Amino acid sequence: MFLTRSEYDRGVNTFSPEGRLFQGDSFIAFTNRVSVEYAIEAIKLGSTTVGIRTSAGVVLGVEQRVQSPLLESSSIEKIMEIDRHLGCAMSGLTADARTMIDHARVTSQNHAFTYDEKIKVESVTQAVCDLALRFGESVHDEDAMMSRPFGVALLIAGVDEKGPQLFHTDPSGTFTRYEAKAIGSGSEAAQSELQDKWHSQLSLKDAQIIALRVLKQVMEEKLDHHNVQIAQVTPANGFEVLDQTQLKEIIDQM
Amino acid sequence: MAAAATVYNPAGFDFSNQIRNNFLADRGLPLPKATSTGTTIVGCLFKDGIILGADTRATEGDIVADKNCEKIHYITESIRCCGAGTAADTEFTTAMISSNMELHGLSTGRKPRVVTAMTMLKQYLFRYQGHVGAALVLGGVDATGPHLFTIHPHGSTDKLPYVTMGSGSLAAMAVFEAQWKPNMTREAALDLVNAAISAGIFNDLGSGSNVDACVITATKTDMLRNFVKPNERVTKERTYGFRRGTTAFTKEEIRSLVVQEEIIGVRDDAMDIDGS
Amino acid sequence: MAQTRSFNPYTENGGTILAISGQDFSVIAGDTRQSEGYSIQTRYAPKVFRLTDRAVLAVNGFAADGNMFVKKVKQRLEWYKHAHSKDMPLKAIARLIQTMLYAKRFFPYYVYNILGGIEEDGTGAVYSFDPVGSYEREACRAAGAAQSLVQPFLDNQIYFKNQVAAPGTTHPAHLPLPDVLSIVIDSFTSATERHIEVGDGLEVYIVLAKGRDLQDFEAIRARNVHLTQELTVTEDGERIFVMRLDLKKD
Repeated sequence: MFLTRSEYDRGVNTFSPEGRLFQGDSFIAFTNRVSVEYAIEAIKLGSTTVGIRTSAGVVLGVEQRVQSPLLESSSIEKIMEIDRHLGCAMSGLTADARTMIDHARVTSQNHAFTYDEKIKVESVTQAVCDLALRFGESVHDEDAMMSRPFGVALLIAGVDEKGPQLFHTDPSGTFTRYEAKAIGSGSEAAQSELQDKWHSQLSLKDAQIIALRVLKQVMEEKLDHHNVQIAQVTPANGFEVLDQTQLKEIIDQM
Repeated sequence: MAAAATVYNPAGFDFSNQIRNNFLADRGLPLPKATSTGTTIVGCLFKDGIILGADTRATEGDIVADKNCEKIHYITESIRCCGAGTAADTEFTTAMISSNMELHGLSTGRKPRVVTAMTMLKQYLFRYQGHVGAALVLGGVDATGPHLFTIHPHGSTDKLPYVTMGSGSLAAMAVFEAQWKPNMTREAALDLVNAAISAGIFNDLGSGSNVDACVITATKTDMLRNFVKPNERVTKERTYGFRRGTTAFTKEEIRSLVVQEEIIGVRDDAMDIDGS
Repeated sequence: MAQTRSFNPYTENGGTILAISGQDFSVIAGDTRQSEGYSIQTRYAPKVFRLTDRAVLAVNGFAADGNMFVKKVKQRLEWYKHAHSKDMPLKAIARLIQTMLYAKRFFPYYVYNILGGIEEDGTGAVYSFDPVGSYEREACRAAGAAQSLVQPFLDNQIYFKNQVAAPGTTHPAHLPLPDVLSIVIDSFTSATERHIEVGDGLEVYIVLAKGRDLQDFEAIRARNVHLTQELTVTEDGERIFVMRLDLKKD
């Protein structure tokens, strides 16, 4: 049994005397650290997801792995709307993303209700990340926490007063702003490809095509309008998932 | 007999609407608010007589109804009375007592005394059990010397060397308690009355505008109307004239108000003139 | 007989506030007398507060509730600034005030609020609230003890109610700043004349939009150098000035 907890290893939110997190001797603290690291690893097994920011809007692209010919590909939902001006694409344990996106949606609605304005992209991202480290063992009468970290990474795209923006979150609760970002199994190759292709003058159309090209490169199957999904957030129309005809059009232009 | 009853008007107040008014008040229609003199009124004794003082604000609730009303009422040449409370009650009561004092002076052939006015006032107020809302400061000089009274709405009276009444009475009394001395000169007493009334004007919201004073001595009464005016109206930043034609109208009709009169003679011969 | 006794937690502390918006400015004013019944509690209790560089809030009614409410609004603005790294925009403050007031729907803050300032589009704005949060954007509003005296005057002078424009002309949608300031001052000197709870002092907050031409304002400022004080630190954003004048003290 691991009942010999020291006062420094109650959870990830406790520092050790050496000023470190998760560095206690105990198994539980060790578990927490490893847990987050493993969660980050888990994402590397997820399907490839890319996000590209342009001055005209943000484009999100995901690969939908169709594991069986009997699977209805339209039922795989890897891009979700948070609010009219906010979208989100995910990679990893997509079921975990539901909790996070629910929280993001409530936060966004609450902000609009209280302040009569759209929440900033950074603010929803922060709100989602605030959830990330609420796992571990609860201490005496504390509310029960989650048993493990979220095993999912998100690309949060949106438009606010600062223009179109793209944020990346990971299970550690860290978030970073990107011009273009790839996550998931093919992310390493995809990211270097994005680095090559991205420039500040990209049009929305360019971004759509680049997103598909990058996905195509890292996908095992042949890319078609059934196994990819594209969404975008623009100042004019907000969040929208492109339908199959729009998708085909872009694929034809690739 | 019934016809005779309708033309007979008994003296005093008419209470015939009392039941109706109480009924209406119960149903949520209270009586209209009477103008009250929120008021600071004072009086004090000095070496040669009495000085009375009053502010000049009249209020209706929290609205200023009159910025320069007169609260020092005439009773006789050498007796005056300051009124606080319901304006109509103080005005009517003092006017009525003034009339009665005049008549009393005429029938006795002597100058009426201050106690006489005081007694008449308290008996009248007592009769109406406080429903006549007059709180008075009565002062004057008569054959027996200077006298100063306060008379409360229920009819009780006090005789004191310095008195205050009204909503500003505490502010004014604070000044008297700090500074009044027996045998003050006219100038010193007038300054003190001015300070007492000013305390009311500036510290009591029910009192305001100007200071009225009245100096009564055995030989002379000086009514110092607007003795001090510490609250002159400031000039406005803008002028608010309206262009001719500003007010909209739906119909215009011009009628001549000059009556045209045509005289038609009915007889040719001249009118008979008496004695011609 | 059964007797019902209850503690009444509210009082009314008098005074009046008002705000008028222009094309690119907003003026928010209030007298400084605080009273209870026929007594003056203080001749200087501010009822108008600067919230941000472009928002000013006037609060009138029960002074204790008003002060607490302003304190809580300021706290929420601070939190917002930390969470979103910017000052809360005027219309967001307006909505926030609504939610804060309505949160106490069954034990209300006994206050009437008027919020004035500059919107994100650079226009002058005034928002008025009832004690439980109903609110509206307007061009002008008076509230408090002398509302019934001042509002009709404002309706006539600002909205030109009951005034027919001269043939071939229309009434202006916005008045220039000097005219507005004169109307504000006249409103308060007049209310002081006829309302016993209004007087002692007048505080006028002037919020000027970013980049606004200051010529007309500088003229006013020059005439009242000792009365006018700038509250903002930056000269490149919206600017707030406060003007303090005496009112009659009777």
